[in-house]
Amino acid sequence: MTVSGRFTLLVALGVVPIVLLGSSPAVAGGILALWLLLSVGLGVLDLALAGSPRAVRLERSLPTRVRLGETLTSLLYITNSGPRRLRALVRDAWQPSAGAGNNRTSLTVPAGERRLVSLPLTPFRRGERRVDRVTIRSYGPLGLWARQATLEAPGRIRVLPPFNARKHLPSRITRLKELDGRTSLLVRGQGTEFDSLREYVRGDDVRSIDWRATARHHDVVVRTWRPERDRRVVIVIDTGRTSAARIDNETRLDTAFEAALLLAALASKAGDRVDMIAFDRRVRGRVQGAQGAELLSRMVDTLAVIDPELLEMDWAGVPAQVRAITSQRALVVLLTSIDAAGASTALLAVLPQLTRRHTVVVASVTDPTTLQATHERADREQVYRAAAAERALLDVARVAAAIRQQGADVVTGPPAELPPRLADHYLALKLAGRL
Amino acid sequence: MTTLAGTDAVATTPTLRAAARRSRFWVLAGVGALLVAIAATLLAGAGSGGGTPLAADNAAPAGARALAEVLRQQGVHLTTAKTLDEARTLAAASADPTLFFTDPNGYLSNDQLSTLAGLAPRTVVVAPDFLLLQTLAPSVGFGGVADSFDGPGARCDLPAAIRAGGVAPGGKTLSLPADSAERGCFPSGRGSFAVVEVALPSTELTLVADDGIFSNEEITASGHAALALGLLGASADLIWYQPTLADVAVTGPPSLGELTPGWVTPSILLFAVVFLAAAVWQGRRLGPLVAENLPVIVRASETMEGRARLYARSNARLRALDSLRVATVQRLATRVGLSRLASLDDIVLAVSALTGRDPAEVRFVLVDGVPARDRDLIAQSDLLQDLERAVIDASGLPATAAASAAPPASPPATTTATDTPTAPGRMDL
Repeated sequence: MTVSGRFTLLVALGVVPIVLLGSSPAVAGGILALWLLLSVGLGVLDLALAGSPRAVRLERSLPTRVRLGETLTSLLYITNSGPRRLRALVRDAWQPSAGAGNNRTSLTVPAGERRLVSLPLTPFRRGERRVDRVTIRSYGPLGLWARQATLEAPGRIRVLPPFNARKHLPSRITRLKELDGRTSLLVRGQGTEFDSLREYVRGDDVRSIDWRATARHHDVVVRTWRPERDRRVVIVIDTGRTSAARIDNETRLDTAFEAALLLAALASKAGDRVDMIAFDRRVRGRVQGAQGAELLSRMVDTLAVIDPELLEMDWAGVPAQVRAITSQRALVVLLTSIDAAGASTALLAVLPQLTRRHTVVVASVTDPTTLQATHERADREQVYRAAAAERALLDVARVAAAIRQQGADVVTGPPAELPPRLADHYLALKLAGRL
Repeated sequence: MTTLAGTDAVATTPTLRAAARRSRFWVLAGVGALLVAIAATLLAGAGSGGGTPLAADNAAPAGARALAEVLRQQGVHLTTAKTLDEARTLAAASADPTLFFTDPNGYLSNDQLSTLAGLAPRTVVVAPDFLLLQTLAPSVGFGGVADSFDGPGARCDLPAAIRAGGVAPGGKTLSLPADSAERGCFPSGRGSFAVVEVALPSTELTLVADDGIFSNEEITASGHAALALGLLGASADLIWYQPTLADVAVTGPPSLGELTPGWVTPSILLFAVVFLAAAVWQGRRLGPLVAENLPVIVRASETMEGRARLYARSNARLRALDSLRVATVQRLATRVGLSRLASLDDIVLAVSALTGRDPAEVRFVLVDGVPARDRDLIAQSDLLQDLERAVIDASGLPATAAASAAPPASPPATTTATDTPTAPGRMDL
């Protein structure tokens, strides 16, 4: 139960008769008492005539998925099953990060009828956003007093990672096709596979002429090549505590998701099989054996609900996880962070196990503010800051050198750059036939 | 599509009845505690010795109910008065009244005291104060406390005093000058008496010095009871007058309360109610708060900032400069075409050859200079940047090394740190 602003105003209006008619304290006191009695009496009458906020049926209609940054509409149908008209203020209690804005709607539902409350939602955080309750405040016909009840009406939407890096996909696919031999430019590399023989046309690389076939056909014949296909790519995403760090208003984990999605999209276009696990001390998410469009949808679905855990990454468990996915030679991409030497000891310890069987790429986000800090040396504070930044960069460089020494590749970049750089590195490996 | 159709939605807000049932224990406990508190207050109030001293209805040790009851039993018509006006009305209604008067708080002014003296034929004043003595009996003074009284008997001709025979020692006394016309009873030497009788034109004034004589506690001691009954029971009507605050004359300008119109106080009350209603209106929440687990937000650069503050707080100038130097040397090594692992001397020589600077000067910048103060540190850092820019200029644009400030056309990927030109004007520091 509650009162409205109108009731407050009604009580306040009592000052008029008190001032006009209250000549003596006793008369004025009597008017005060009568006015309060009148106000409360009207309020009680209003309350008795208000429709019950409990006699309400609720239905929801929600899309199940939405990309982060997009807007969806949440539909809530309110059916008044009570005998009286419902003059209601309805609050659809979405979680704050569902981005509901003003979630209060006032509407009138006659007895036995149904009304629609539509609420635009723009979620600003990845993951599963929920709504559990709807609160209805039902005013009486005079709008003085109101009844209020909170009703259960659960609903949920899954907010998927934005995959902003997909803008880099077309150019990478074009370059992939260039590798593929479908265009006039033929690419030869150490690991490319023999595809077919065809007649020489002007512009072909003379080195690709197959002399034995030319002798047999009495015409100049060249060999064509195509990149390897059906290789395995295993993406391991570190969801441990270091992935919670925020760089450029984005956690490392979110950047890792972007990079993983771009790489997976590119690799599945290139005909490779992509598997992914998100891991810290246990597996937080796993996508295995999916192909094509299903791969990406399963990946975003799995990644949507993964948040950084405040746990130390268990690197010793990673080789076993990779072994469980494939026993073949594969490209293993570790999306993690390279910080100080001390923090990367565990990673360095298990790298030989991985590099012995697989091609390993370690991808890490770098902080552009650190790089920026090395240039700002105007005063004492800034010089010390620049020194600390240089020290941090040296640490990263040392760890990166150690990783390279173990036989793995290192790809680093600021949040916006890391996904395309990882994709480029993949293309470079493909070109070199190192998959 | 999530559908909850068919039945009414389940309400999580408890109904009024359910809320009442749930909070029944606490309501009952609160009421019980209130009852206990009220009962305890009442019991404690009954046992305490409060009340007005010498009031006719006060049964506490300081009261005088015992005396009043005995007087009533003896047929004396006792009426109490709280103001001078009441006392005057009662006196006017009676044929032959006796006035009992005590005023420990000194409420009455000397005009009122003069009026008092004319009310009844007999007036008994207990514990007179200075103002009363000045007004009605100027020759009577205060006599101090009597340790003992002289001999048996009242030693005066007041009938009630003669019948009483004596009063208990230890009470206050009044003093009379040796040649005064007033009579004193129960002398205690040096001209001080327990009871003084003053004959005024309008009344027979009896001053009883000590208020203990009439009190419940001491009325039975010595001859107190006989003295009190003799003085107060002289006539059929007794007016028991004890002044209250209502007797105090109102002086000065009218108070704020008298000046305000009648509607002001009710209006203030009304606005208190409006305030309450507005508090409920604005304070009632539209349903419970929604909980959400939020991720931890840690800025990745915090470790770097923390290390910078550690350097600054401990004045680790050389260590800070070393970090800057190692980074610069590595970048310079790549820039002049040496490996990252090249020896420092080689790099110094290569850099000096490229820029045309003195090797000793380059070596001072890259290795030898020790900053003694923070100013030196900043200067050294500037020199490092200066040198690095010179190397970039020299290596990036070898043909026109003199032409400065043009950024290198296509820097190698490993030297991204040096791509951004430093801000001009910064060298002033």
